[in-house]
Amino acid sequence: MLQKNRLKALAAGAAMSLVLYPATASAWSLEEAAEPYAGTTIDVVFLLRPGYEAAKEMIPEFEEKTGITVNVTDMPYENALGEQVRDFVAGGDLDIALIDLVWIGNFAENEWIVPAEKFMNDPELADPELDLEDFFPLTLDAFGSWDGRVYGLPFDNYSGLLFYNSCMLEEAGFDGPPETWGELKDEYGPSLTQDGQHAFALQSKRNETQSADSFARMIWPFGGSFLDEEFRSNLTSEESLTGLEFRQDLMQYMPEGIVAYDHAEAVNALAQGDVAMITEWSSFYPTLANPETSAIVDCLGVAPEPEGPAGRKPALGGFSLAVASQADEEEQAAAWLFIQWITSKENAKQYLDLGGVPARQSVYEMEGVAEEHPFVPALVESWQEGVPEFRPRFAEWPQITEIVQEWGTRMMLGEVSVEEGASEISERMEAVLEEAGYYDGDKPLLQ
Amino acid sequence: MQKLRQETQGFGQAVPPAQSAELIHTNTISRGTKFGFLGPAVISLAVIGLAPLAFAIWTSLYNYNLTKLASMRFIGLANYANVFSDSAFWQAMGRTFTLLIIALPVQIAVGMGIALLLHRPGIGFLKTITRLSLVIPMATTYAVVGLLGQVMFNLKYGVVNQLLGFTGVSPINWLGVPEFAFATIIFWDIWQWTPFCALVFLAGLTTVPPEVEEAARLETKNWWTILRNVQLPFLIPGLTAVLILRTADTLKQFDMVFTMTRGGPGSSTELISLLIQRVGFRAFDQGLASAQAMVLLVITIVLSRLYIRFFYREV
Repeated sequence: MLQKNRLKALAAGAAMSLVLYPATASAWSLEEAAEPYAGTTIDVVFLLRPGYEAAKEMIPEFEEKTGITVNVTDMPYENALGEQVRDFVAGGDLDIALIDLVWIGNFAENEWIVPAEKFMNDPELADPELDLEDFFPLTLDAFGSWDGRVYGLPFDNYSGLLFYNSCMLEEAGFDGPPETWGELKDEYGPSLTQDGQHAFALQSKRNETQSADSFARMIWPFGGSFLDEEFRSNLTSEESLTGLEFRQDLMQYMPEGIVAYDHAEAVNALAQGDVAMITEWSSFYPTLANPETSAIVDCLGVAPEPEGPAGRKPALGGFSLAVASQADEEEQAAAWLFIQWITSKENAKQYLDLGGVPARQSVYEMEGVAEEHPFVPALVESWQEGVPEFRPRFAEWPQITEIVQEWGTRMMLGEVSVEEGASEISERMEAVLEEAGYYDGDKPLLQ
Repeated sequence: MQKLRQETQGFGQAVPPAQSAELIHTNTISRGTKFGFLGPAVISLAVIGLAPLAFAIWTSLYNYNLTKLASMRFIGLANYANVFSDSAFWQAMGRTFTLLIIALPVQIAVGMGIALLLHRPGIGFLKTITRLSLVIPMATTYAVVGLLGQVMFNLKYGVVNQLLGFTGVSPINWLGVPEFAFATIIFWDIWQWTPFCALVFLAGLTTVPPEVEEAARLETKNWWTILRNVQLPFLIPGLTAVLILRTADTLKQFDMVFTMTRGGPGSSTELISLLIQRVGFRAFDQGLASAQAMVLLVITIVLSRLYIRFFYREV
């Protein structure tokens, strides 16, 4: 709460500083702001996902307006963190950091990224229309902020949604998708699992998918969490264990070998009519709605993720873009101008139409947007109730996620019981946190 | 010649002209020449091999995490203690040796069979085609072999399940079930490396003097007797090379498995090199990963020495 208040204060302060420069504000234009940096090249890592393809289609316009060249390196998600860490440690070329929400603590603590206030307080660089308050507070807080400071602006934004095959549901006698996880398992599960088809697929491959899409997705709606207030493990609490037991039970309605399913396999299973429902990131909507990649276009339904006993706690994920500290002053300025432009209110509609998912509230209030993009209402609803620390965002997450991935998968395979797995993760996670100095007061309890 | 004499005299090792003209001993070659020939190789080895090795030894003694360089400190052998007490390390080591123990004998046996067939006289054209096709699996990039496997063993769209379907067998989840996934990578390793064994043995068979082999064939028609007493002694150097190379290759097997299963499902195909990569580049714990790599290196060296000792002695 304190962090949110600080964030609001910061946003208000930034807005105030912009109001104090009315003359500059009225005169500000991207072309003029970029004049001193024409000819500068900025380097950034992009992922092989729809939001980045959308951005790449927009980049030529930015380059034409500014004379700044944006040099994009594409890579799969699994390589993006390692590539950037190596680049920052070695003082490499990257001028912009692409930050998954679970990397922000890591990047900020290592001072690899520059707080946005440096640029927002510079009237030459700050777009008067920046309007931080227009971002969904949850996305700005979770994807772009650490310890009350804004570093990155939300760029590629996701919420977990329930995608379903409405034709299969209707055939089985259901009017709509399940409201709760309990309904999904107890009512929809048995009815929709037959003749080689399955009710549900929960992508659980042993990588970040296991931690974020499978493990975390099941503990939060049941009232569980990774850590308690003292940063001790909360995974052995009754609520967390209930969620994890629920996942084990639910596996009977999933395809065999679900621990080998990544996003592609889960999306494909729904797209080919093999499963009736999946919980996936909003960014997969274009894939499922495209007749070239989906056989269920006419039957595709989208809803918020089901609620658990603790409410709706949908999976939260997304990326912000921040200026890298290692860039020189010119590159930093050019990088900021690009970040500000690509995430701007003005460009949000174009980005959305090209397949990206902006975090600007204003774009979703536009007339006709909900009809053009049927996933929008569910997405907007999901971003009202998400948990920023859905996965802890501190610097220790890369080590902890490896532990969760190993033992979470072993639980699902039945190699260890849920209790044993949760205890193993707890013990190892606390060892990492102790080593980091959280328990002797060396580090603030930020996640 | 005059120049050579001057150079050798320059080092105080005067050699009579007639003798030096007949035979140039290595100790008469100038240091500059020796360094000129050996230097580039030694320097390359030092830069590419020894310096990173020394760096790995150094990092293995430190708490060295790329994302926490501020808290880097000397911790002695703590990383090694961690390796020896870590069940994940020994499980990965167990999987790696299981792969080695199953795949290597099969590769040697089948490779030997193929080599003996190709060594028999007759049908020359077919044998040429076969020899050429044997090169294809091992000439294919490891990572591509893994990607091919990922597609071919796919549960729904893979050609393997499609072929099984023609015979009435239900689709098998090759890469989704831990036991099947491990069996699949063993099979795939055998597919890729059996031809290598076959070609090495075939080369070995061609070194058997034809008159010796002919004489043996006049004595007996038993192929095993000929193989055991006549051909095998000529195959021992090749066999030793196969054992050393394939053992080292298997212990550092990474690309094929990484692209095919990424070590999954669960940890079922996480070989030791995948574990080291995960610790070093996904958890960024370079210190622990270096310690794991050092232990693996020692095990590889010991195994290689054992092979040389036991097999070369028989030659």
